[in-house]
Amino acid sequence: MHKTIYIILCFIMLGCSSKKEEPKKSAQINAIALTKKDRYTAGDAITMAFKTEAPIENFKLHIKNAYGTLLVAPEMVHGEMVFSFPTNFSRKSGLCRWKLINEGQTLLKGEIEIHPNEQKGTNMATYFGPRSITAGDIDYSMLVIAPTDVFDNPVARGTEVTVKSQFLASINEYKVATTELMAWYNVRSTHKSGRILVTAACNATPSKELTTIVFPSNSTSFKITAFQDHDYADGNQILKLRSDIIKDEFGNTVSDGTLVTFIIKNDKDAYLYTVGTTINGIVEGRTLHPSQAAHWNIQAFITGASESNSIDVTFRTAIEDYKVYFSKGNRNIDIGPLESFMKQLVPDGILVQMDVFSEHGDFIETKKTTTKKGVCNFYLSPEYLENGTYKLVIRAAGITKEFKKEMNGI
Amino acid sequence: MKKKTNTLLILALIVGLAFHGSAIFFTLESTYDALIHLFFADHYADSWFDPWEYRWYTGFTVQSYPPLVHQVIGILSYIGGLKFGMYTVALLAIVLFITGVYRYTLLMTGSRRIAGYGAVLAVFSSTFVETLHIFGQLPSITALSILLHSMTEIYLWIKTGKIRYFLTSVTMLAVTVTSHHVTPIFGMVFFIAPLIGMAVMDASRERVNSYKELTFKIFWNTTLKHFWRIAKFGGTSLFLIVFCIFPYWYNSKRNPITQVAIPHGSRDNFLEITSSGLVFFVIPWGIFLFVLPYFFYRYFSKRYIFFGLSFALLTILGTGGTTPIPLMMLGETAFNILTLDRFTLWATIMALPIFAEFAYRMVEGDLKVLVQEKFGEVYHRVIGGLIAGGMLFMVLFTMTLGYFRPSQPAKINMLPIVNFLGADSHDSWRYLPLGFGDQMAWLSAQTTAMTVDGNYHSARRLPELTTRAIERIENSKFRGVEGIGSLQQFLTVPEKYNLKYIFSNDKFYDPILYYCGWQRLQQLENGIMVWEKLNVPPIPQIIPKEDVPTIMKIMWGIIPLTTVLLAFIINIQLIWVRLLKSKKLEPPSFMKLELPYNKFSYKLLIFSHFWAFIVLICLGYGIYLFYVKNVAQLSANNVVEAYYDALDFKEFNRAHSYLDPDSNIDIAQYMLEVSVTDGILSSYAKMDSLHVEIYDETPTSAKAKVHTRWITPLENLYSSDYHELVKRKSKWYIKPSKFDNDIPPDQLFTANGTTFYNHGRRKITTQETYHEDVLKQPVLEILSAKLVKNRGQFSIIGEIQNVDNVPADVVIKATLYNDANKELANYNAKYHMKHKLMPKETTVFKINFEGIAWSSTKDTLPPTFDPDQFTPMNFEDQPTNFNLQSAGNVANTDLYKGVALQDMEYTDQGFNGVLFNAGVQEVTIPQLIISYYNKENELLWVDHSFVPEGVRIQRKQFFNYKPLELDSLEVIRSDLKNCFVNGMPNASIAEKVFPNRNYSHGASQTQPFSGVGFEFIKFEINSYIGNPK
Repeated sequence: MHKTIYIILCFIMLGCSSKKEEPKKSAQINAIALTKKDRYTAGDAITMAFKTEAPIENFKLHIKNAYGTLLVAPEMVHGEMVFSFPTNFSRKSGLCRWKLINEGQTLLKGEIEIHPNEQKGTNMATYFGPRSITAGDIDYSMLVIAPTDVFDNPVARGTEVTVKSQFLASINEYKVATTELMAWYNVRSTHKSGRILVTAACNATPSKELTTIVFPSNSTSFKITAFQDHDYADGNQILKLRSDIIKDEFGNTVSDGTLVTFIIKNDKDAYLYTVGTTINGIVEGRTLHPSQAAHWNIQAFITGASESNSIDVTFRTAIEDYKVYFSKGNRNIDIGPLESFMKQLVPDGILVQMDVFSEHGDFIETKKTTTKKGVCNFYLSPEYLENGTYKLVIRAAGITKEFKKEMNGI
Repeated sequence: MKKKTNTLLILALIVGLAFHGSAIFFTLESTYDALIHLFFADHYADSWFDPWEYRWYTGFTVQSYPPLVHQVIGILSYIGGLKFGMYTVALLAIVLFITGVYRYTLLMTGSRRIAGYGAVLAVFSSTFVETLHIFGQLPSITALSILLHSMTEIYLWIKTGKIRYFLTSVTMLAVTVTSHHVTPIFGMVFFIAPLIGMAVMDASRERVNSYKELTFKIFWNTTLKHFWRIAKFGGTSLFLIVFCIFPYWYNSKRNPITQVAIPHGSRDNFLEITSSGLVFFVIPWGIFLFVLPYFFYRYFSKRYIFFGLSFALLTILGTGGTTPIPLMMLGETAFNILTLDRFTLWATIMALPIFAEFAYRMVEGDLKVLVQEKFGEVYHRVIGGLIAGGMLFMVLFTMTLGYFRPSQPAKINMLPIVNFLGADSHDSWRYLPLGFGDQMAWLSAQTTAMTVDGNYHSARRLPELTTRAIERIENSKFRGVEGIGSLQQFLTVPEKYNLKYIFSNDKFYDPILYYCGWQRLQQLENGIMVWEKLNVPPIPQIIPKEDVPTIMKIMWGIIPLTTVLLAFIINIQLIWVRLLKSKKLEPPSFMKLELPYNKFSYKLLIFSHFWAFIVLICLGYGIYLFYVKNVAQLSANNVVEAYYDALDFKEFNRAHSYLDPDSNIDIAQYMLEVSVTDGILSSYAKMDSLHVEIYDETPTSAKAKVHTRWITPLENLYSSDYHELVKRKSKWYIKPSKFDNDIPPDQLFTANGTTFYNHGRRKITTQETYHEDVLKQPVLEILSAKLVKNRGQFSIIGEIQNVDNVPADVVIKATLYNDANKELANYNAKYHMKHKLMPKETTVFKINFEGIAWSSTKDTLPPTFDPDQFTPMNFEDQPTNFNLQSAGNVANTDLYKGVALQDMEYTDQGFNGVLFNAGVQEVTIPQLIISYYNKENELLWVDHSFVPEGVRIQRKQFFNYKPLELDSLEVIRSDLKNCFVNGMPNASIAEKVFPNRNYSHGASQTQPFSGVGFEFIKFEINSYIGNPK
């Protein structure tokens, strides 16, 4: 029994004891940096040399810049360890930190400062927007210039950038300095509409040409006039409504294509309308003459921005009267001839409507037709309308005629 | 005995290959299915093991269809392209089918001579012609042919129990399974089960001396004796059906077909819908119809009894909805999923051996003797000639059906479209073809670009498609309201699926494209119009995909071709031996069962004559009905129907021939009058239904009231017209109606306008467009926005203005939220707005929240479609807040503003107005957008109305509009806080661009009108131009 206990105890003790992790003993290695230079220009070849007693296999140079981190292996040159920086480190301006590492141990560390290489020339990325602005004092486009050296490093802070802008006859020049990555300049809108061209130059390198359009501002009130060949309401002439040149508050002609709505209020208080779009500031809206005497009050709007004067157009009646003939048991109704203002036959297509009511005034149907050679005809066939008395209301060219007729026969 | 090569078989093969082989080049590409298989083949050629196909339905798995035929085409495509692969497979299928029928007939009759007849008849079988040349069902034909081949082997296995036959039969069955899944499953029931029965029957027969002695007891004992063979075979085939296409079953389980069944002609009542009867009954049966009694007589003999049962079943099931039996037998679900024409196909294939036997007996057997004896030699020749002639006629008729009644649009040259999609990163968006027919599959196969549509309806995935009985959006006009509704959803919210380009091969869809805010981009050389939608983001780099376990991919990629290889290796030796007659083979046992054919039953002959007579009468009656229905001027009703039919198909010459000759309208005048009427009804409507009411009919005159329902891309239109009809010289005519006599004021006039052009990319470069080529987005300002509830339906209404100096294309998207700011729904403005705005132009808009119809499973499909049915979204919560995102993009097309409101008055019938076109473009479809305001002149509601007829230049068009009653309208929220323009808050724009806005202008433009629930009304006009000049 005891024996067993001893054995178990032994096992337990063995199990509990553990081998202590001892730090790997390594002799302190001394390394001396031979390269003292810590300022470079981007694009320069950068090498670092170190001297050490130990064999060089296990040494690495750990370098780190804005792009990332790299471990560089050394080369042995005349008994010295030489580390060459790859180009993506030597060409990137800014700080580059390094550490000399041996088997996970940092022996030496330091940093190198790389300056942008402005001697080899400057590249420039320019952005200008928005591409169009509104005339006045509020709007502006912003020109952003990001000058870089040939290796795409931003130029040193405070590098001077010259901005030129052209508008009409004047060319202006401004000087701005880069902060951080870029320089920027707000090109204010002008009062006159037109095109502003801008360019920038840095270290004698010019940028491309950039442009913004200054569109006219919102329109101001304008005048409209009506043009017509005659003032008869014959339903067959075009009424032209034309504006003067519509301008904004700075005297710029509004943009081509601006929509103008002509609201026509007739004497029955119906709101009719036509629209037009401007060309060189002038808008023309067209509509058709009414087919009966009317009085139109017309005003034009550029919604929200401006309105025109209000004008009145009066149409005289073209058709004074017309005759209605009944035949075939009052089922065939001939209307016309319709004569216009010079006693000429009206142009084809005058709308004639006939409302059919029952004897007691209940609405039955509306029939429509158009005139041809001044006349038109309705036929109320017995299949649709039984024999009996009906009230017929005929309307044409604003003249209403009422009949009460008895339908019979075919 | 030295076996001779069967000359009839060789003849059949030569003729079959020459006839079908050359015809397929003219028919196959315009069949319904062939190009779909081509697309699948392209998938395998491209990525053999990956079953996910991105190009259709935003991605679907090709494991939804057995792959063998597709994979074979795919492999062959490496030699000579996809079409080469398809034709090669088709040729193989032809050979397999002819030889298959030969072997099947041999098995059934035991006579090489009759089998030869069978092979020849197979070539001219109208059912085969239809399946191949009209339907293009390559996998189905291949599977069926191999099934026929395997039958001999299965018979011999059951009969002899030799392991060799077991191997040959199961390997062939495996090939069948991998080519088509339905064929082996139903083939087991309808072909193999009777076959096993027959094998057992033959075995039983061997135990007795005559069929008479063969009792059920003997049969039962023999069955028990053969039980293990049957069980082994049955078990193995079950295993094969499951195993060989296991990924298919796995996929069906994972993605069960929950979609709404698509109506299929084979389920129609063939007596009612005669076109379906023709295609799914008359053509496949063809001349067989006359010989039906013989088939039943023979198949219900003792040896074939099981085939007889199966044949009868197939025949009945194939009648579709003509009799209620198929529905009762299959049940509602199966009836609505299966295409019942398959049963007819099998029935006719099953009948082939017996027909071959009949032909043999007729040409050189006892029937010939009997007929000659009873009716004389001449009669025999005439009957023979009639049968052969009838058969040939059916073949030619079927073959040319596609030529005379094209089921597909004319062949489209795809190259310009493929080039367009390949150029300028156009394939970064999805596209949608419209009016391409099944050729859309061929387009998809040629490009890497993706579409939201697809042509394999079982794999439809988008809810907009699966919830409706539409197979494709591409042909949505043929699916009526459902189709158009579905299409409209895609067009209204195209960014949901990154849909930017539409290829339109059908002018019909143009209006809806325009009114949903699409614009014409260019016309390709092949005449296809490309439409594009602005403001749609490209497809993301990573798109979702449903992956399957790797083992499934490997199974799917390897098993099908392995089955072919195995079947080839195992069967080749036998085929070789049979073909070259290199070794003397023991003739299989069924060869001994050849019948002597020495006495054709006279009773049967008489009955057959009787039957043929009935069939002829039915046929004659059918033709007579067809004649009476279709002879245009036979009755008053016919002439009206024919007239509208002619108008619907734009056959104006024909329409004119129905007009009263005494009315003195000559064809030139009529054509002129017709050609000048444009508009949605005359240019973009498809007649959906026509109801003619004839009244006041006298012997020589009548009146017709015609109610028509037209499907237009925008809405359904109803129209009621009255016509007077006269009868002259026993022909009915329509009296022409009056035309508008209006003449425009000016002969020649001028018009000035501003036109715009956007270069797009100014530099020719393959890089992404430089930022200086990107135009600034035009600035818009939302003037008002409200969430309203009208008649239980939520809408966002408002008004928006283009405050920039360039024309803008406007897209508005609204999102609804509840009190807890939880998103409930979002939708875009459809056609309740003007999408293109000139500088400073305003438009009112309305956004309806449209749900996907019948999307929840508990909703049942309404039995008939209410055409104006709008499916409002179901909100789980009350919407109380909203967000409005609008975006402007520079527009340079569709900016026509030449239509004026020239006159208007209010009558009891509503507003009667006159539109006048003062410009130089013919307006095809004018749209009125009507807005309602309260007494403070605040917007309440927006409505629209399409004017059915167009407005020609300098002419008037009358319209009538009944104002709505807004008694139940409720404004839930009205504010501009959450309104954004091009991503910027609306308030900042208003402040900057329009600091001194004059708010009285809105009020000055609205018409005072006291209606129910409103005080002011405004009419705006939006014009669609069909042919911009």
